[in-house]
Amino acid sequence: MISLTRLPARRAALARRPGLRENPVQALVWLLVLACVLAPVLPLLYASVQSKPIYDTGRTFTLSAYSQLFSDPAFWAAARNTAEFAGLTTACSVALGSVFAVLCARSDVLGRRIWGPLMAVPVLLPPLGVILGWNALYGPGGYAHSFITATLHIPFNLTSVPGMAVLGTATAVPVVFLVCRAALASMDTSLENAGRSVGAGPLRVLSRVTLPMLRPALINSGLLVFTLSIESLGIPLVLGSPQGHDFLASYLYGAWSNAVTPDPPSVSAGATVMLAVACALLWLRSRLIGDEARFVSVGGRSGPADGTVRLGRWARVLLGALMGLYLAATTVAPLLALAVESVVSQLTPLIAPWHLLTSANWAAIAHGEYIQSIRNSALIALAGGAVTTVLVALATTVAHRSRFALRRSLPFLLLFPRAIPGLIVGIGFFWSFLLVNPPGHALLNSVWGLTLALSVRSMTLAYFVLSAALTAVSTSLDDAGRSAGASWWTTITRITLPILRPAVFVAFILMFVSILNDYDPALFLATPNTTVMGVAMLDAEAQGVNGPVAAMAMVQVAITLIAIAVGGRLFTARLRRASA
Amino acid sequence: MPEITVEAIGKSFGAEAALSDVSFTVRDGELLTLLGPSGCGKTTTLMSVAGFQQPDTGRITCGGRPFFDRAARLHLPAEARNIGMVFQSYAVWPHMTVAQNVAFPLKVRKVPRAETAERVRQTLELVEMSAYAARYPHELSGGQQQRVALARALVYSPAVLLLDEPFSNLDAKLRERARVWLKGLQAELALTTVFVTHDQEEALSMSDRIVVLDRGRIQQEGTPEEVYRRPASRFVAEFLGQCNVLSARAAESPENGTTRLVAGAAAVPLTVPRAVPAGEAVEVAVRPEAIELSESAPDGGNASAARVRSVAFLGDQYRYELDAGDLPLVVTSPRRFTGLQLWVRIPPGAGWILDGDAPANSRAAADVTS
Repeated sequence: MISLTRLPARRAALARRPGLRENPVQALVWLLVLACVLAPVLPLLYASVQSKPIYDTGRTFTLSAYSQLFSDPAFWAAARNTAEFAGLTTACSVALGSVFAVLCARSDVLGRRIWGPLMAVPVLLPPLGVILGWNALYGPGGYAHSFITATLHIPFNLTSVPGMAVLGTATAVPVVFLVCRAALASMDTSLENAGRSVGAGPLRVLSRVTLPMLRPALINSGLLVFTLSIESLGIPLVLGSPQGHDFLASYLYGAWSNAVTPDPPSVSAGATVMLAVACALLWLRSRLIGDEARFVSVGGRSGPADGTVRLGRWARVLLGALMGLYLAATTVAPLLALAVESVVSQLTPLIAPWHLLTSANWAAIAHGEYIQSIRNSALIALAGGAVTTVLVALATTVAHRSRFALRRSLPFLLLFPRAIPGLIVGIGFFWSFLLVNPPGHALLNSVWGLTLALSVRSMTLAYFVLSAALTAVSTSLDDAGRSAGASWWTTITRITLPILRPAVFVAFILMFVSILNDYDPALFLATPNTTVMGVAMLDAEAQGVNGPVAAMAMVQVAITLIAIAVGGRLFTARLRRASA
Repeated sequence: MPEITVEAIGKSFGAEAALSDVSFTVRDGELLTLLGPSGCGKTTTLMSVAGFQQPDTGRITCGGRPFFDRAARLHLPAEARNIGMVFQSYAVWPHMTVAQNVAFPLKVRKVPRAETAERVRQTLELVEMSAYAARYPHELSGGQQQRVALARALVYSPAVLLLDEPFSNLDAKLRERARVWLKGLQAELALTTVFVTHDQEEALSMSDRIVVLDRGRIQQEGTPEEVYRRPASRFVAEFLGQCNVLSARAAESPENGTTRLVAGAAAVPLTVPRAVPAGEAVEVAVRPEAIELSESAPDGGNASAARVRSVAFLGDQYRYELDAGDLPLVVTSPRRFTGLQLWVRIPPGAGWILDGDAPANSRAAADVTS
């Protein structure tokens, strides 16, 4: 029986005190994001139309930087190399990555439960470490080079453009694999079951239903890989440039660091050209993905898929073995070579490595510039990761859970830093630090300038994680907070973000790893006092110092793996608790 | 508790009008239901009252306090409206316990700790959830989550209560119990309540008054009995329960406020308690349970022979589909008739003339008779 005495219904409603005004907070978040995104871009555009570097006096407006750039045959050679590399890498990685994804998700290939997770791992590995590992193994004079060329009679040259594209493919396959596997997982399996029910065999269903449905994923990942390939800097710096095979990014880096007059405007002009190409690709991607909306399957998922293709005993074993071999050759062996190289005085197939064991490499990185760069990298990754995660978390909620007038621009702004080449972020921030002083000069001469540039560059990753997680949180949870009387700020900080806690944590781990392993922007900003691991490694590599570089790469790999393991464990523990 | 007045609100999404000229008043302490099919604008209306959507035109006031006024460019944010709301998904926050969920509105209002604890205890007792105060939402059933959502909406004694399809996530058995329980609670506390549903049975059994919406317009407003027995339009007649809608024509001039109509080729004669000019085409609504079935010709006129097309057993009654001449009729009756030739009788009070223009085809049907 309900009695009125328990809750006096007619007592006056409790008044609500006005909370923090929401608009100023949202505007501040938006302005911060806008500033982070525009800071590298606007000064770059400005610097590209000046006759002299920004710090010089007597500058005039001119397009001479562009004409100088376009009249340089080396620029065109680099552009051709870049196009060839990007085209080859895209074609090969889309073909391999999609086949691997389909095999793992839709066939009974041997060991698919092992290959599935392993395929994705290289995405998180330090890119520079992978390049150095490949160089130690397959490069000229590498451990396995003579085995491949002399014993197997494969004319393989890692420093040629097609050779670099093989490495490019190996680094891009996981991207395609992940995109395709996500598409396969979200595909309504009843579409495939419907194909089976009308009498089509598994292979036919695969070719007529599954693969066509994958088309948006293939286009999306292909464009993504192409964009990433165009901006490659580490691969040509380590492999191609010493042999005269430059890409656009390494060409510009070379012009930047070797110019007679420092910081020439032509480099800014070249970076602007790359920016334009990246923007065009970004636009193309958003257009194509929009048009492909018809491929989004409607309706819920209905039951488990029995779309598993039975490959037959031999094909099953053969394809499984090939996938295992692929993983061994592209990921495990290079990392192993790196690990061995870090404990020997010289990695050579002529002398067994146990005769050359030494601890000198590890001792070397415990001193001087090496240890300084490790400290800097760890500090930058921790501080930058934490601050940026907070900013992106707020920006994500402003973008998707507020009525802020300009909220719709935020997803694009947050996407931008990853869509443009890393060297643009580096050159751009260099100019903006010179232009906006204070605090520019102080930032340029401390690790905080690097922290800013590397953090901005990785913002996009945190946004991907957080926005995906946010779509799974019903808006009525926020609305319930508002109708209970909470302001926007209270709702976000007490309800939305606490619910998102696991995703915020994952975003932080991802930011940490990404900032730790990034080096493109740092190449243009680091000074001897503020160097980071990637820059120190490339410098030493250029001087032919292999052992300590391998040890540094192993440090990167170790920190990365520990961070992922810790993050993964905490994350799954949280998930388990939440779903218990 | 104050009354809510909605005056001429309208809202368009692009070229499509989601709401046009919607006005109604929720009286103090009553439960008013917004009823209609999906996409009719009922949720848009409720969200406008709650403050989660902003109409393009009109005015909304609650107890004399303006919530929204287009002319005065006033839009009170949702959190400033002091409204209790239960969401369709319940929206019980998964990272807080039941007690924390219910205490949140009080924390926002900076209520002292002791009073918060007391109010949370009282409210959980009210919704019979005291035993679950320390549980997390994922440890509760759908019905229990709904009670938590209600407790959270009531804990600060809000001005009004808004319910957005609160029963749609419950199974049929539980839904009926929850309905009776919630109606009882609402009546005891005399809460001014706006309730949104697409379920006519829910609307009829719980409401003090019903507003029927279709395509963003109010079709009818009235008590459940009025709306059911005297539907204003064909839409209302057909949306609320089953209904036979007959196209007919006034056969002769009205006498004593009643008119004889003919419907269908067999010229079923029909007397309705309303004056209709001779020759005018009208639509007549007749509820299936209001039509009398018999095996032999009944007394009292308004009867016609009919042939049984199909019979379905519905548990508590039988549903007959018949043809009275060429006039298809649906009739429900607790009796099972085995013969295929029956008589139908439509009592004079059972037919209700629908307003609005009769569709063109009714004219053709009526023409046959004349």
